[in-house]
Amino acid sequence: MANDSFAALAHPIRREIVERLSGGAATVGAASRDLGVSKPTISRHLKMLEEAGVVVRVIDGRTHRLALRPETLAEAAEWIESQRIRWERLFDVVGEYLEERADRK
Amino acid sequence: MIEPPGYVVRIERSFEAPPEAVFDAWTSPEVMRRWFHVGPDWETPEAEVDLRVGGKVRVVMRQPDGAEVEASGEYTEIDRPHRLAMTWTFSDDPSNQQQLIELSFSESDGSTTVVMINSGIATDERRDAQHWGWDGCFDQLERTLASS
Repeated sequence: MANDSFAALAHPIRREIVERLSGGAATVGAASRDLGVSKPTISRHLKMLEEAGVVVRVIDGRTHRLALRPETLAEAAEWIESQRIRWERLFDVVGEYLEERADRK
Repeated sequence: MIEPPGYVVRIERSFEAPPEAVFDAWTSPEVMRRWFHVGPDWETPEAEVDLRVGGKVRVVMRQPDGAEVEASGEYTEIDRPHRLAMTWTFSDDPSNQQQLIELSFSESDGSTTVVMINSGIATDERRDAQHWGWDGCFDQLERTLASS
């Protein structure tokens, strides 16, 4: 659900991880390097991203790789678009109303 | 106007009208009643505006199949004709997230430019989040979607 992906992206560290993965899958080490927080904190953020379905973890022997799931992000992007359409519509209506008002004068 | 970095939607548009008229249009129940008339069979049976801080704004839209969508909020700032802010929720929003709508009105050469910022309101479970939203992530997201 869009709700989960929004919550997942509601933190600068998680957004940074998502940005790093946007170029392609990466190891956990590469995706979480130099973030200035402890390993348990990184694990907690990764867990949120995985639970929201934003990120998947592929385990290959001892290497854990992370990859984005674009379909989850697409859902969230679609939600944003639906909000924009609604508010654009209100702007249209305000414009029509103002034109009619001006005509009446 | 200071724009929150975590905004979801930002819309800017200019109208050939003085700021007072544009501001009043935004708070007009008549405008609200037309808002969701996206098709001739749509109705807006209810539109209420109680224009004071803490006052409610509410619109009920009915689709041809009878399904209703309610949008409601509460005014948090009223400074005619410069600024208007309100909380906002759509009843069919799957994110079930209360939003903040902030409008600023500025006049130049006889026309009025309105900037709307639609941002999220952090809830308790998101207290660790500095800003609910997308900021830098959004460009990246678009690139990701474009390449997938």
